[in-house]
Amino acid sequence: MSTMTSPRPGHPADAATSTDLAIDIQDLHKRFGATRALDGLTLAVPTGQVHGLLGPNGAGKSTTIRVLLGLLKADSGRIRLLGGDPWAQAPELHRRLAYVPGDVSLWPNLTGGEAIDLLGRARGGLDRARRDELLDRFELDPRKKGRSYSKGNRQKVALVAALASDVELLVLDEPTSGLDPLMERVFTDYIRAERTSGRTVLLSSHILSEVETLCDHVSIIRAGRVVESGTLTQLRHLTRTQVTVDLAVPVPAQLTTLPGVHDAQVEGHRLTCQVDDTALSAVLARFAEIGIRSLVSTPPTLEELFLRHYEPEEAAS
Amino acid sequence: MTTTAREGHDGGGAHEARGPRTPRSLRTGPGIRSADGTHHTHRAPRAASTTTGATQHARLAARTSRWFWLVWILALASLMPATLSAYRTTVPEGPQGEAMAAALGVNTTMRAMLGPPYDLLDPGGFAMWRVGTFVAAAAAMMAALGVLRATRADEEVGRTELLRAGPIGRHAPLAGALLVAFGACALLGAIIAVSLAALAPPVGSALAAGLGIALTGAVWAAVGAVAAQLSESTRTCRGVALGSLAAAYLLRALADGVPDSSALSALQWVSPVEWAALARPYADERWWVLALPALLTAALVALAFRLESVRDHGSGLRAARPGPAHGSARLASAGGLVARLTRGSVIAWSVGLVTFSVVIGSLAGTIDTMLGDNPQLSAMFRRMGSGAPELEEAFVVAMLEIVAVLAAIFALSLLLRLRGEEEAGRTELMLSTATSRTRYALAHLVPALMLPTVLLLACGALVSLPSVLAGGDAGTIATCAGSALVLSPGVWVVVGFAMLVLGLRPRLLWLPWALVAWTLFVAWVGGLLRLPDALMKATPFAQLPHVPAEAFAWGPVLLLTALAALLLGAGLAGFRRRDIG
Ligand SMILES: Nc1ncnc2c1ncn2[C@@H]1O[C@H](COP(=O)(O)OP(=O)(O)O)[C@@H](O)[C@H]1O
Ligand SMILES: [Mg+2]
Repeated sequence: MSTMTSPRPGHPADAATSTDLAIDIQDLHKRFGATRALDGLTLAVPTGQVHGLLGPNGAGKSTTIRVLLGLLKADSGRIRLLGGDPWAQAPELHRRLAYVPGDVSLWPNLTGGEAIDLLGRARGGLDRARRDELLDRFELDPRKKGRSYSKGNRQKVALVAALASDVELLVLDEPTSGLDPLMERVFTDYIRAERTSGRTVLLSSHILSEVETLCDHVSIIRAGRVVESGTLTQLRHLTRTQVTVDLAVPVPAQLTTLPGVHDAQVEGHRLTCQVDDTALSAVLARFAEIGIRSLVSTPPTLEELFLRHYEPEEAAS
Repeated sequence: MTTTAREGHDGGGAHEARGPRTPRSLRTGPGIRSADGTHHTHRAPRAASTTTGATQHARLAARTSRWFWLVWILALASLMPATLSAYRTTVPEGPQGEAMAAALGVNTTMRAMLGPPYDLLDPGGFAMWRVGTFVAAAAAMMAALGVLRATRADEEVGRTELLRAGPIGRHAPLAGALLVAFGACALLGAIIAVSLAALAPPVGSALAAGLGIALTGAVWAAVGAVAAQLSESTRTCRGVALGSLAAAYLLRALADGVPDSSALSALQWVSPVEWAALARPYADERWWVLALPALLTAALVALAFRLESVRDHGSGLRAARPGPAHGSARLASAGGLVARLTRGSVIAWSVGLVTFSVVIGSLAGTIDTMLGDNPQLSAMFRRMGSGAPELEEAFVVAMLEIVAVLAAIFALSLLLRLRGEEEAGRTELMLSTATSRTRYALAHLVPALMLPTVLLLACGALVSLPSVLAGGDAGTIATCAGSALVLSPGVWVVVGFAMLVLGLRPRLLWLPWALVAWTLFVAWVGGLLRLPDALMKATPFAQLPHVPAEAFAWGPVLLLTALAALLLGAGLAGFRRRDIG
């Protein structure tokens, strides 16, 4: 198993055959006039995985999802969705998935309940009891007209319609961007339940904590291509731990130049630095030799991961 | 810093900055500085009225809607001078003209459509009768729509909220919108008065006509202001305002249509759209009548302000009624959705076209007596009616073409929802279900083809109804229905063209609109203007046989049907192939 599928084109060299993949995109290109929205994007989501598509605004998340749904035609690339061709077989494949767009627009004259039933039935039916339970959990009044819902409530309508359908794959484009923290919790609970029941979820987000709490596997997308992909553990492996240590003696100068130590700052006995996770044992061993009075280490967050990929000068190095 | 966080922060910062940086001109005025130099700003709100900021709002409303007002005012201002310039063609000098005017004046249908005739032998009096009440009603429509777009429409999408958060009075947006609408009505009235004074003196009469029209507009500006308070939905508010206008117009049609001796004719005083005519411009003016619209406007404006004080921002007078919690069984597919969404407009179009057809039908029976002695007008109608020798026949043929163009507009409005839904992002939602693109497009396309065709057939039959009821040959029902049906390939070509554009170049969707606008123009005034033949023939209906003036022929009917099918097929193929969104 490869740990990282860094921007290397081609298929991840693992055992998974394409039939085990709910989503399999290779070298996808899509441009809008002069804008290169997708520039050689490669993405594989095995069945049963909760996969996060993480990237800043304009990275190409929504475009990827729209191509995947057969709404946009790819300029080039190979795309398989649930074993089929999303462009040619859209209606059949869509019976097996549910989609929540990033910006949900509802029919002004239909009530939320009507919109949920319409979308559910057009998808091939929805679970009445589950629908009612979801409405209850999301505290959504289904009798209001579409025009009177706030952004968050419109999103809830689409979420209820999606979660109440019995489908294999959920495609969610920034699903929590309008939800308040309480509702985000409800949403998180449902996605966790989906994961245990083996559904595949593709979730786009620019919110790191959301991906962190929900996803098994993350692909970081930037300027139309996936720049990093792996499990959270695998991605963390590449990050640095923030270490603050108080030593028994004033900090020796050679400590700051140890391999794997970055951004060292010295204040008498105290050293603050970042340590590559791969070099952590060696560095801590040196500290221990000198004598540690106190040590604080902060685990890496996806935030830092994100920074390394989006800060231009960092990315260049 | 991540990109995301940075953007989020900047967004917040910009938003915060907007509050304190309110333009100076929008503030309530300088705080009151007392002798000791302290700033008693807390007194400012009390000194400010609820309409503070109205003039700024008026400026904003005028600027954002300048094209709306400009187009309306110019279009309406041109009607009276245009009618005057054609006066001598319609009513010739001498006894022939007198007979003609007399015949027009007693024609019930004409009176019901246009208003009470007072002095048709005076050019100004004739113009006032022929288009005066119509212009007044249209000015009313302009004013009501203008007020609604600057009030409820902005409020519904949340634009007003941002402004209301600034230091402006509660009624400022409403007062500003009314100021603009009143100004527009005054401008329209002034242009009409000046142009009439030049073309049809005396000046006093011209002034009465202009003032009457302006004041009718003002009444519905105020009606629009009241309507804007009623519902949180702009559509509903617009329906209330325009519905009241339609009701007033129908009421006066009834009052003018009955004989003068009837008690019902007094109802004309109840309808505000009639007041401009009742002031009798060019026929011994009754100036005091113009006080009625002025008073009603004042009362309605007061009511609108009162209602705005008792409701919450963003909502109507009554809380929105909750709708059904579950979709009906029919709401299960794109077809069910389209049927549900177009229900209201299908009913409205059907009622409108059916009414139009019945009115035309009842006019057709009287056209010989009205125009038979007027060679110029008869010739014009024959030109419009594909050269039918019988005047009545020519009239029916000319009017059926207009019905067909209206049916094409109806068809276009049904089909173009497909684009509206796409732009709103709801097509994406529906196509993410098991709905195929073809099914989704057909859900819009099939009603756009079927409903106007059925309606056209029904209208054709209805045109002949009055003459059949009056004892005519029942066979004309079939003839007229057939004549109308023969025009339906023209409607299909319009739909096909729109589908082609929608499937291949949706940005160019103004093209099918331009086509129907041109067709309507040709059908309505082409005969009058003696346009070159090539231009007259550049419509989807020109090649079709205009039965009974022309003999029926399969050739053009099949050709246009095939063309429509081709366009539809190409458009559909384009829609299946292109990006959605
Ligand atoms: N329909 C479109 N027309 C033109 N440009 C588009 C269109 N859709 C997306 N783009 C551009 O493609 C890029 C990717 O957009 P998108 O996929 O929406 O990003 P994300 O969802 O990650 O925020 C952006 O630069 C965006 O401006
Ligand atoms: Mg997006």
